[in-house]
Amino acid sequence: MRQYLLNIWNAFWTVLVGMRLTWRHLFIPAVTVQYPDERWTLPPNSRMQLFVNIDDCIGCRQCERACPVECITIDLIKAVPEDEREASTGHKVRFHVTKFDIDMAKCCYCNLCTIPCPTECIYMTPSYEDAAPDRFDLIYHFAKIPPEKIPELEEKARRFEEEEAAKKTKKKAAVAAN
Amino acid sequence: MVTQLVAGEYHLSYERQGDDLILQMGPQHPSTHGVLRLELVTDGELIKRITPHIGYLHRCFEKHAEAMTYPQVIPYVDRMDYVAAMSMELGYVLTVEKLMGLTDLPERLQYIRVIMAEFQRIASHLLAVGTYGLDTGAVTPFLWCFRDREKILDLFEWASGARLLYNYLWIGGVMQDLPPGFAEKAMEFLDYFEPRVKELNDLLSFNQIFIERTANIGVLPPDVAISYGVGGPNLRGSGVRWDLRKEEPYCIYDRFDFDVPVGTGEFGTLGAAWDRYMVRVREMLESIKILRQALDQLPGGDPNEAMPRRVRPPEGDAFMRTESPRGEIGFYIVSDGSEKPLRCKGRSPCFTAISAIDAIGRGGLIADAVAIVGSLDIVLGEIDR
Ligand code: SF4
Ligand code: SF4
Repeated sequence: MRQYLLNIWNAFWTVLVGMRLTWRHLFIPAVTVQYPDERWTLPPNSRMQLFVNIDDCIGCRQCERACPVECITIDLIKAVPEDEREASTGHKVRFHVTKFDIDMAKCCYCNLCTIPCPTECIYMTPSYEDAAPDRFDLIYHFAKIPPEKIPELEEKARRFEEEEAAKKTKKKAAVAAN
Repeated sequence: MVTQLVAGEYHLSYERQGDDLILQMGPQHPSTHGVLRLELVTDGELIKRITPHIGYLHRCFEKHAEAMTYPQVIPYVDRMDYVAAMSMELGYVLTVEKLMGLTDLPERLQYIRVIMAEFQRIASHLLAVGTYGLDTGAVTPFLWCFRDREKILDLFEWASGARLLYNYLWIGGVMQDLPPGFAEKAMEFLDYFEPRVKELNDLLSFNQIFIERTANIGVLPPDVAISYGVGGPNLRGSGVRWDLRKEEPYCIYDRFDFDVPVGTGEFGTLGAAWDRYMVRVREMLESIKILRQALDQLPGGDPNEAMPRRVRPPEGDAFMRTESPRGEIGFYIVSDGSEKPLRCKGRSPCFTAISAIDAIGRGGLIADAVAIVGSLDIVLGEIDR
């Protein structure tokens, strides 16, 4: 009987202790952020949407290889020597990047692709409101070369390669003749 | 083992066996903390047997790991126990380092690892404690715990850029050094957080209603816990003083001064749900102790000094176990000398905890099933992998 009454008393008392805390918290400003109206500032190294500065991409495919879910697709065409240019970091760009797609629906935001990039042209930005109604809208295309130019570039690369091959065979023949 | 299962342990769902009623709890149930299905064989209000059915969250982690290079596995390890991703990373990373024989690591790196793992322990226990309150009918502590957990996640986001799945601890290094001013901010948080634990105790832990609800149910006796291989707070709740940070110190845990709280059975039976809950609360205080020491001693320098450019362990295998917030997480990795693991096995602490649920819950009331599952603090992502 005593235990029973003690239990009841304890229950009342501990609830009151809890209520006191709750009361005190009533006068503390709320921590909730009213999201669409307010936003908090993200730290600068937040890992959100990927961005590729395609002008600096040298087409080395390091990022493609580093990605664990294989969501980066890169297509390259070899550039002829007169088309080669320099990236802003001083690296030689020896390829035309005809396709640089990142499937952000597959991406797991692991940041593994940005580390090996020699020109630091692929990086994560703090932008996070990129929902799309269609799954295929989440495939981001970064390549700038228009598709109608691709056959032309291919043709150029092919011709250049043939010329090189011809030169090589000629050289070989010359060496053999000597 | 398999034959035994076929020979009559398994019951087809929805069929009555004599007077027993089979009750399906889950897979979509608000208090199963993931997708878990419990098959309760009940006799009136009493539970005669509990059979957990797992596998709803299976993502082929172990097979998938064989197709990826060692650093690429780390984001997947994060997703095993998504509530304590840092601790998972630490376990995996230490195993690979053991395999590679990488021992000479910078001091700063060692401290960063301990700091991250302990913050993760607090964050994970906050979630466990908060949701346990929710399971037993207390909503306020849940919100307060999540408010404090957010602050830890903010710290993590500041350091690594991500809030939940960090990919921060790397083999022989970290993704990026701690930002300047991290130690001060972290200290600030600890000063803020320590009184909050007392608030939590006043609000929930020593509330008589909560004690009545949890103190004598779900008793896991120490011998049963050991025979099932249960680890972590669930084992310590039964009064067994076993903590890998003390018993087999990894990283630099032997440098810190902290206690291992165990269940005391001060209200009711030793090893009851309340003891498991209370061990978690007390462990948070111990983590604060470790963190204060680690943040005080945090040396300067470059944590990534010894990071290998290519991870290519020699042929062989290695097993390493660490103390994650949920128990002993172990990784067993076999290497054939290439860049990809030949076999990567994760030993999950939650799996052993859930396998003991029949021993814990048998003979209890149906209404207690939720309180028992909640007290084990399981994460299904880790069980199913
Ligand atoms: S963040 Fe990770 S998953 Fe996403 S593209 Fe980069 S490497 Fe792939
Ligand atoms: S690693 Fe950088 S430079 Fe190389 S292909 Fe990727 S984005 Fe381009």
